[in-house]
Amino acid sequence: MSEVELASALNDTNSLMNVSRSSSAGRGDPIVDVRDLRKTYSSWSVRGRKNIEALGGVSLQAHAGDVFGLLGPNGAGKTTLIKILLGVVKPSGGSASLFGQPVGSTAARSRVGYLPESLRVDRHHTARSALKFYGRLSRMSSADIARRSDEILELVGLRGRDQESVRRFSKGMYQRLGLAQSLMHDPDLLVLDEPTDGLDPVGRNEVRKVIERLRDLGKTIFLNSHILQEVELVCSRVAIMANGQLLAIGPIDELASTEEGSNVLIDVATDNSATDPLANIPLAKIESCLSNADRSKYSITARPGTNANYRVVLIGCDQTAVDEVVDRLRAANISIVRLENKRPTLEDTFMRLVDQKQDDSSLTPQDS
Amino acid sequence: MRPYLAVIADSFSAALSSRILWVAFVAIWLLLACLAPIGYREDFTTQFRGQDFHNGTRMKAMLAQGLVDPKAKDEPIGRIAAALPDDLRRQLQRVGEGDEVRIRLSVLADALNELIDNPSWYDEQAWSPTLRLRELRDLEAAPEINLTKSLKRRRERLRIEAALPGVFETRSSRSIYLTYAGMDFPANLAVDKTQFQTLINQWVLPTIINWLLGFVLIFLGILVTASIVPDMLQPGSLHLLLSKPVSRSLLLLSKFIGGCAFVLLCVTQLVLGLYLVAGFRLDIWNVRLLWCIPVSVFLFSVFYSVSTFAGLRWRSPILAIGVTSIFGAICLVTGVIGGLFDGLVSRPEQLQHLAIAGDDLFASTRGGGLVRYDATSNRWKEIFESDAMGQDRIVPPLVINQGSIATARVRDGRFNPFGSGALDLLVLNETDNWTPEPSLRLPTATSWLYRAGDDHLLALNTGDLSIASQDDVLAAAGKRDSPESNAAKDSTTTVENTWLSKLTTMMGGTTEGFTSVLPERMAVTPPRGIAVDPNGDFLITFSRGRLTRLDRADRLGQRWRETAARLLDGEASRRGVLAIEGNVVLLARAEEPIVLIDAASLEPIADEIDISQSMVPIAVVGMGDGASFAFLGGDGRCRIIGPSKTDVGSDSSNYKIGDPFGPSDVEAIQLDPKNKKLYLAHHIDQVVALATNDLTVTEQIRPRLSSWRWVDRMVISPLRMVIPQTGELGETIAATVSGKSAISINSNAEEEELVRYKIVRPIVSCAAFILVMLTLSCVYFATRDF
Repeated sequence: MSEVELASALNDTNSLMNVSRSSSAGRGDPIVDVRDLRKTYSSWSVRGRKNIEALGGVSLQAHAGDVFGLLGPNGAGKTTLIKILLGVVKPSGGSASLFGQPVGSTAARSRVGYLPESLRVDRHHTARSALKFYGRLSRMSSADIARRSDEILELVGLRGRDQESVRRFSKGMYQRLGLAQSLMHDPDLLVLDEPTDGLDPVGRNEVRKVIERLRDLGKTIFLNSHILQEVELVCSRVAIMANGQLLAIGPIDELASTEEGSNVLIDVATDNSATDPLANIPLAKIESCLSNADRSKYSITARPGTNANYRVVLIGCDQTAVDEVVDRLRAANISIVRLENKRPTLEDTFMRLVDQKQDDSSLTPQDS
Repeated sequence: MRPYLAVIADSFSAALSSRILWVAFVAIWLLLACLAPIGYREDFTTQFRGQDFHNGTRMKAMLAQGLVDPKAKDEPIGRIAAALPDDLRRQLQRVGEGDEVRIRLSVLADALNELIDNPSWYDEQAWSPTLRLRELRDLEAAPEINLTKSLKRRRERLRIEAALPGVFETRSSRSIYLTYAGMDFPANLAVDKTQFQTLINQWVLPTIINWLLGFVLIFLGILVTASIVPDMLQPGSLHLLLSKPVSRSLLLLSKFIGGCAFVLLCVTQLVLGLYLVAGFRLDIWNVRLLWCIPVSVFLFSVFYSVSTFAGLRWRSPILAIGVTSIFGAICLVTGVIGGLFDGLVSRPEQLQHLAIAGDDLFASTRGGGLVRYDATSNRWKEIFESDAMGQDRIVPPLVINQGSIATARVRDGRFNPFGSGALDLLVLNETDNWTPEPSLRLPTATSWLYRAGDDHLLALNTGDLSIASQDDVLAAAGKRDSPESNAAKDSTTTVENTWLSKLTTMMGGTTEGFTSVLPERMAVTPPRGIAVDPNGDFLITFSRGRLTRLDRADRLGQRWRETAARLLDGEASRRGVLAIEGNVVLLARAEEPIVLIDAASLEPIADEIDISQSMVPIAVVGMGDGASFAFLGGDGRCRIIGPSKTDVGSDSSNYKIGDPFGPSDVEAIQLDPKNKKLYLAHHIDQVVALATNDLTVTEQIRPRLSSWRWVDRMVISPLRMVIPQTGELGETIAATVSGKSAISINSNAEEEELVRYKIVRPIVSCAAFILVMLTLSCVYFATRDF
């Protein structure tokens, strides 16, 4: 079985859980273990009670050393999932644990470092005093705080500016300070919520480098971001969410190159490259070569003005199907001018899954 | 605890970085800088002021007599009257001729002050029969050359006071002059150093602290701290805090404590500053002042607990401030309503003096009423109505015999001892169903009645003590017209009266039926007390620090003989109470130890008994066993003072004060010698009777409540318990600073009313409220998703 784990929005949760579990086999106990997690927010108004389902049965695992990216559009449930992991919000159903401890427990929280989306440090702090404050909140001793502060300030590049009031900090410095505080107590799991949000390209690059350094140090990182390129650059595994559902999860390379969404392009021409190639190859001849294939799995378009007569696009076919089409084309004496295996990017996959989910969601009322 | 200490410390840092805090600091420093130049100096009390006169009418009459009575011409009053300015002399002349002339006290004071500067009126021979204070005798004995100008002026003042007995309030010999940057304030304080310290500790400092800390800093503190909780709830701050391994409830509590840092920093500076200013500038090193720091922070925390909950609920500093302000307004309104109920409902019905006539129980009330307990309906029946706004004063009822009591109602006498109109003794007989019947005419401004044995009664007014036969009193009862018609008759007969008798009446002298018992030139002026031997053979007076024993004259109409006298140590202006039991007199004076004196020689017979400052003497009665006394202190508790058991029977017995007994909040005590019961009036209108031998309760009176009293008990009191009485914390501060549990108020300069500070109730109600609000906040914070 391929390592790629793909779960469409239409797959049921159980099958997704089975896929996830099987893929995690042999990697030890997961650091983050979420099973069928549900969260419904209730609100009251004059019109009565209103329930909003933020998470509708999410299951995922993250293991030691993973840089786990959490992707999804606004309102997908990413922040709710993170809040539950941090113990800020209590789940309505399902279970979630960190390091085998229930989320929200002191033991679990003491091993987590968190960088909120828009960090707010009181204005009376300097970088060093803020680190001291957050270190104390993490139950660190004064000696450990003093020692760690130097290391961390060095790591995030704030050494030398540590006595400045945070009022004078730029957004990038602020974000680095946030990263520093999340690392103060040397956590085993880092939860970074939009760590590069609002930063200019230089700032993003700086933060990304820090994350990469942490990754290299073997930290487990849970990254929540809108920015797909950033996730592609630093994450080893990714989960895609939309409308409170988990759409896909897996290693980033494989998630980006799933069969679904991958196309094979075959440009064909006559053997002798005649001056009027179109006249020499009837469309029916090509179609006869694809007679074994599902009509929906290929398309044929004319390519006038190029060195090929037609372009055959095989949609989501496996290698065997491609080989068979190639063999039959060649047997029919049709030249293959160009063959390209076109794999989708993470963005392609993300957009396809999200669009598909939204389409399904819009159909759901009629279906039901 | 490290994380929570970090939150608290962080709040301190945040407070220190607040600009408003520094503005508050600067304001506090400016205030302290303004107060710092205040100082004082002490000098002898020489100048007369309007409020120094205890009995202005008497003075007017005496001076008028000095002018118009040829016999008084060479007496001190005549010499003083002759030296007065011409204008005043003319007015006094008209007074002496029977005209109704109003003379302002300030005019009299100015005239006397002129005499102080020019003592040509003094004649040693004329003054020799006067009753002179020890201080005056010492000054007169001192060589003239040794006296400073100030001492000479003091001597002249004392000579004037000696010439006009019964006219002046007691003032301390030395006065405090406040200075500012070395310059005298325009007005001086006629108080001695101790009273000055009391004034500062009991009034000035608590008032400053109440206003500055109770209002200004609280409001400022709420303005500054209202944003702490909503700020914490900002996502970028809250989620980070909640992701740390800390308890939500403790985190909130730490934030709450940290929020109090602002007020703590301000209060500490202000109180420390006041402490140092009072210490360095006024020589008042009152460490208790520092207790205001925690009390003020406690007061702030009441409001901040509301602000915290509102901030949690609505996450808006503006709403938090608004809700807290509304809460403050509710507290204020509740306090005002409670105060109105205290003043208009409870206080007027508070029993002030008891009288037990057989099986009937009478009491005068603070509202100027006279009531009798009706066991059938379990209510106090009003003989004279109690009225919060009433102007009348009731002379404490006195039992004449088992079927009769005597009292008097002084019209408009609540604030003016003289009242208006004639004053008749009122006799209430059981046979007449306790209907008041006018009897003999009482001396003007009578304020107390005493039994002198089984056959006479005494009436004390502003300075004189008069006696009448009980038979005459009872015989005259019902035979006089009503007081109103008497007043009318007085006006028609005025012309017929001689000027001398009118002046005598004005001075509070004898009337028909009542004759003075005090020796010539003796006056019993406040602070004073009288204890009469149960057999009426002698009495002891205490007046202005002088104890005097007067033995009964052989026949009615003669003045009683002074057989012993003793000047007491200490300040003469201290008020006190005294009682006779057997041959022992107990005298308890404010801020002085209790002394036990031999009734014959007036010499101490036992060691003094030290009492705490909270036990300001209110009343003392003999227990009828010949040895012990019941003592009522300012803490509202009764105690027995008696000889130590081991010393009973020995000549030099030592007395000791026992543990409190009976109910709390006692207002009045009275002994029923016939039934050997001690009656205690407590909790407004309740009474308990105790057997004198073992102090067991023999009778309890808990009368049914009137409708307003019912509303007070069932609605207002619970409301005052539920809604924290932040205003009453001011009393806690006053009690803390002064170190006293009660304060005496001069209602009419004749009888002091002791108001006990509410110390425990505001603390309990505020602490309970804080606890409830914080619990609600913690539950809300711990269970909500953010």
